[in-house]
Amino acid sequence: MAESGTISVPTAARRRRVTLRIPPISVLLLLIIVLMCVFAPLVTPFGPNDVDPAHPFAAASGQHWLGTDELGRDLLTRLLYGGRLSLTVCAGSVVIAFLIGTIWGVSAAERRGFVEEILMRTADVTMAIPQILFALVCVAAFGASLLSLTVITGLLLAPTSARMARSVTIQETSLDYYSAGIAYGAGKIRLLTREVFPNILPALASQAVINAASAMILEASLSFVGLGVQPPQMSWGVLLQQGYGFLYNDPTYAVAPAVLILVTVFCLNLAANRLGSTRHRKVVRP
Amino acid sequence: MPEAALLSVKDLVKVFPSREGKELRAVDGVSIDVRRGSTFGLVGESGSGKSTLSRCILRLLRPDAGTVSFDGQDMASMSAARVRRLRSRIQVVFQDPHGSLNRSKAVSDIVGAPLAAHRSGNRAARSARVAELLDLVQLPAAMAARKPRELSGGQAQRVAIARALALNPDFVVLDEAVSALDVSVRAQILNLLRELQGELGLTYLFISHDLGVVRYISQDIAVMYRGRIIEVGPREQLFAAPQHPYTRLLLDAVPIADPSRQRARMRLLGEQTGASDRPDLPDDAGCRFRSRCPVGADRERCATEDPRLEPHAAGGTLAACHYAGEIS
Repeated sequence: MAESGTISVPTAARRRRVTLRIPPISVLLLLIIVLMCVFAPLVTPFGPNDVDPAHPFAAASGQHWLGTDELGRDLLTRLLYGGRLSLTVCAGSVVIAFLIGTIWGVSAAERRGFVEEILMRTADVTMAIPQILFALVCVAAFGASLLSLTVITGLLLAPTSARMARSVTIQETSLDYYSAGIAYGAGKIRLLTREVFPNILPALASQAVINAASAMILEASLSFVGLGVQPPQMSWGVLLQQGYGFLYNDPTYAVAPAVLILVTVFCLNLAANRLGSTRHRKVVRP
Repeated sequence: MPEAALLSVKDLVKVFPSREGKELRAVDGVSIDVRRGSTFGLVGESGSGKSTLSRCILRLLRPDAGTVSFDGQDMASMSAARVRRLRSRIQVVFQDPHGSLNRSKAVSDIVGAPLAAHRSGNRAARSARVAELLDLVQLPAAMAARKPRELSGGQAQRVAIARALALNPDFVVLDEAVSALDVSVRAQILNLLRELQGELGLTYLFISHDLGVVRYISQDIAVMYRGRIIEVGPREQLFAAPQHPYTRLLLDAVPIADPSRQRARMRLLGEQTGASDRPDLPDDAGCRFRSRCPVGADRERCATEDPRLEPHAAGGTLAACHYAGEIS
């Protein structure tokens, strides 16, 4: 300890460089999960709906790493295929929230006054609506499909993105480089897209990753209460719900999807934290 | 003034709503004329409205009353497209050298941005122009690839000047352009600005709270106090025979490099400087400087009548003071 104290300056400098170069564990874990889901057919020899009635609730073995479900289907295979859907909803809704939220927030920041009030109070009202209730109404109206689930989740997350976009845009446009841009005759759209947007992107990206975590939980909750995709389609939330029914026969069935959701959300939050701290760091003036 | 002014501001008013429903008249009926090819210095303490005035001239703010005419054309009555074209002739350099440069862009992009915004020339022509501009502000060509955070304050301000010159403007507003710089760097930038003015025939509006700096670079000087111009005139007359008590206080606040003379003057000033501790009075009919005024604080006329900016017998400047003759 005493030794490390004497050389604390160089090690601190080196450590910071290393953490910037090697992707953090959270990102690596996310990458592994995503790749395994995407390339599921290569990872597992089973199909997600291959039934084997002779071996229901099989315990974990070399053949079935996480055992089988009530119809003898391989649980790991179903998790990987279910992950495809969960991750698609997650990614799609994040993109929707990013696009709508950015336009929403930047417009509010640019049109201070009446328009801003309307836009931001709308955001407040939207955020005050209970998410599950909103989703319930939407599913009742548009049906439960992959598309509707993605759009509903995206809409629910858009106001948080809008708030973030508005505050960072106001911060940027109050700087003199923006005023100078207006003074040399650049249009507002040009300044916002070319000068301001690259500067607010790290903050927006960090918010998007946080949104991804929320989307994951939201999708799982909706599926768990039966508002998500309907069997035979599956997602982690759907598998969790099915496993819940057999909690005392076969705990792995419910615990496995729960752990996957937990790990993914945890890693997303860690990644967002990292993105916020290294990229969105305030520039220290020399 | 005999020559036609390049920029002429008439009775400009800019009011900001403040809390408690009151109004803040940041600029309250200001008129200035800036002669072509000259430097017009604008001094005043912080909050006197000088930056608001410059932002109205740059059309970053819309004035509530009064006119700004540039080269004989009234900007208020202009269409948006014509204002945009006119913008290429009026440029600005701000105080904070780092805030006025986009931190994520390279110097070459920053200097070339006005050219790109006006779609002037192709990429090659633009980069040639950027090299020319960097040379003009005496920055090495290697700076073109740097990011703003890798520049010193003086270098960053040179980049801001290069950007301001990109569109060949006639008129440059220098809003506290050297105030954030070290004294030695400040002198370099001031000399650079002078050289550029000679080379390119520029007209400057030079805004500063530092009378010494304004004196160095300006031919005409206006002193602002709480949204009004209280004295304006040619540099020599203003410094030789200041008419307004506030101008006198400002001049006396500039230290003299000779300690014995400085001490002698401080003895004379002792009583007057104390006056600045008195609080500002609310706006009323009287002179707005009288709460701090060593001359007219207790005079009847100063409390009831707002002085107009007018010539006085004793000096060559216009001053807004009833007793301007008595103080010099």
